[in-house]
Formats: sequence, structure tokens, C-alpha cells
Amino acid sequence: MSELSQYAILFGLSVGVFGFVLSLYGFARAIGRARAEPGKDVPATAGTLSRDPVWVRYHARYAGYALLFLAFDMEMAFMYPWAVVYREEGLIALLDMGVFLSILFLGLLYGWSQGALRRQ
Amino acid sequence: MSIVVVLVSLAAGAYVLAVIERWAVQGHLSLTGPAWAALALLGRESLLARKSDRLFFELGPVLLLVAGLMAVAVIPLAPGLIITDLATGALFLNAALAYVLVALIMAGWGPNGAYAMIAGWRFLGQFIAYAMLIVMPITAVAMRAESLSTVEIVASQAQLWNVLYQPMGFALFVVAAMGLAWLPPLDLPDAAGELAGGVEAEYTGVRLAVLRLARMVIILALAGATVTFYLGGWLGPWLPPWGWSAIKILAVAAAMLSVGRYMPRIREARYLALSWKLGISLALANIFVVGVIALVVPI
Repeated sequence: MSELSQYAILFGLSVGVFGFVLSLYGFARAIGRARAEPGKDVPATAGTLSRDPVWVRYHARYAGYALLFLAFDMEMAFMYPWAVVYREEGLIALLDMGVFLSILFLGLLYGWSQGALRRQ
Repeated sequence: MSIVVVLVSLAAGAYVLAVIERWAVQGHLSLTGPAWAALALLGRESLLARKSDRLFFELGPVLLLVAGLMAVAVIPLAPGLIITDLATGALFLNAALAYVLVALIMAGWGPNGAYAMIAGWRFLGQFIAYAMLIVMPITAVAMRAESLSTVEIVASQAQLWNVLYQPMGFALFVVAAMGLAWLPPLDLPDAAGELAGGVEAEYTGVRLAVLRLARMVIILALAGATVTFYLGGWLGPWLPPWGWSAIKILAVAAAMLSVGRYMPRIREARYLALSWKLGISLALANIFVVGVIALVVPI
């Protein structure tokens, strides 16, 4: 199978999921419908609408981790092609990536020492 | 042809998993229970919360199901029995499962409810904890197999399963997979008894049924990924290949589901600290150790 037809199958499956879910909704609707009653559509906050708006700024207390995560996630993009040719390249590949990973690991240790690995 | 077989076995697997989950969580074995529960969910009212973000609310569960199905698509159940044998299968699995985060944040944001919202953002924190520990152990698996194709990764384990070749990577991957599928003790986004259901709080009726189905598919995909990467996939004596796949995948899923009974829930801050201080150091060490072994030993 060619690459293109494989991705076509995956795309078809994704569209198929939407069809499946729609048919489930149709079936549920055929069985019965929601009756409109006051107060029923209030989100789960003790039966009344919450006093404060919900869509507000949320303090992401894991911001330090998140920044380190970006650095590590970029690094993984380099790791995958390296991993595939690793055995062909041999020791050179190990040393190359060893230098790269140890710099990255030092970065993690530095972030740790500066208090990035903490809920702020 | 293989697509239909995989989809049917996925549906059967999801059903068996629902039975196992009841058994593991409630200690009650009922073969027909999930069918009645699903039918009851379809019959119930499916409400739309007041002033909700309708697009996010409706798309969340569907996107979750799509993400799970895309991950299942690259998992081989037997030689030739796979939906798409992509050359970049292991990477594609990562990409598909990244959408679990997006879907859960959409489901948390959508209904405009405080509990769901908190649960969605909590899962973002959990994502930062588990994400690297999914990706890094898979790198070490690809180093041994010299390929990202899941079929070749299974074939590379013919002489020795990866669980023995790189046990540290296996342990890290299983824990991270449990975080990804928000299984207890890492079930922060629905946190039963704490957030009134979390992301599930505002979903009722048929929408909740889709959400629960999507989660079953994701658990199956992760159990399948664990089996493919570490437990030798379809390899095994006597039984036919698909039999081994089924036994292994269901056993891994059952083990993942039962851990929560014996452990208290882990707080987000503690999970983040553990993953980054201990987990990432171990994962880097795992890559290095596997690198040395792969150069010295020819298997």
C-alpha cells in the first residue's frame, strides 16, 4: 500500500467516526428527547449558577515545567530520526547524542537548582 | 478486510474491557452489565449546559474517539492484521495521542462549568508530567528496532522481548500510559469524589456514552502500544498470533485498571515533580544504557 492511500484510509476512518457518532445521536434522539425544565441546564455547581464567571485566567502553577517541556519536546523531534539510524552509525551516533543529551540534562539540573521544578 | 477485522475486534475489546473495569473497580462481574449501562445512557437526556461553548462541548468527545482510533490504527494484532502499517508508526501513535490533551481541554472548557474547567486545566499539568515519558522510552525501542514501523518493532523482539531488554523503559512507559488514559491513581481530570466528575461532570446521556467509549478505546490503544513496544506483540508459542495479541492486550489493560484500587490518588504537583526529577533522569539513562547494549550485543 502506498503512503498516500494509507493516509487516505486514516482520513476516511476519522470521517467515519463523525458518522458513527452522528448516527448514535440520531438513535438516542429517536428514543427520547430532553425535556426543557428550568434550572436543568445549570452546570454542576450546587444547583445555582456560580457567582463568578468560569472562563477566567487560570494560574498555571506548573509554568516552570511547561517551559522545560518545550525544550525537551523539541529535542525529541531530533531524537527519532537519530534513533532509526543509530545502529548503522554506531559509536559516532552515541557520542553525538551523548553530548547533546548531557547539555540538555545540565539544563534540567540548572532549572532544578533555580526552582523551576516546583509548583509556583 | 483487515480494517473490518481490527474494528470489530476493537469493539469487542472495548466491551470486554468495560466488563473488566466493572470487575476491577466495583468488584462485580457481570457480562451483560455494560450493554445495559450503554443502552441506559442512550435513553437518558443529554443536556447542554447554559451559556456553553457549543463547538468545544460537542467536539471534545468526538475528537477523543478519533485520537484513540488513530492510535489503534498503527497497532498490529498479527502479521498483516493492522489498519495502516505506516513507516513512521511509532511517531504517528505519539501524534495521535497528543490530541487526547486537546480533546480533554475542549471538553473541560466547553460546558462553562467550574469543575469541568479545573479538571481540563489539571490535565494540562498532568500532560506536562507524562508526555516526555511516553516519547523517550519509545526512542529507545526504535533504537533497537532500527525502525519506527510498529510491525518491525514487534519483529525486532523475536529473540528477547523489550520488557527484559529495557525494563526501565517499560516501567516508565506503563506509568506514563496510565497518566495519559487518566486511570487511577493518576485520574486527576475526573477525580471521582473530588471534582463532581471533572470533565465528565456536564456530559449526560449519549454524549457521555461517546466520552466513555472514547476512553475505553484509548485504554485499549495504550495497552496495545505497551504490548507492541515491550511485550513482543503477537509473538508467542502454540497459540495463533491474534490469540497472543488479544491475551496480552487485555491482560495489560486489566492490570492498568486494577492498580487504582490499591493506591491513593497522586496530586498534580507531586506527579510533576516525580516525573521530571526521577522519571526524566531515568528515561535519559535508559536511552544511554540501551544505546550501549545495542552497540555491543547484536540482537
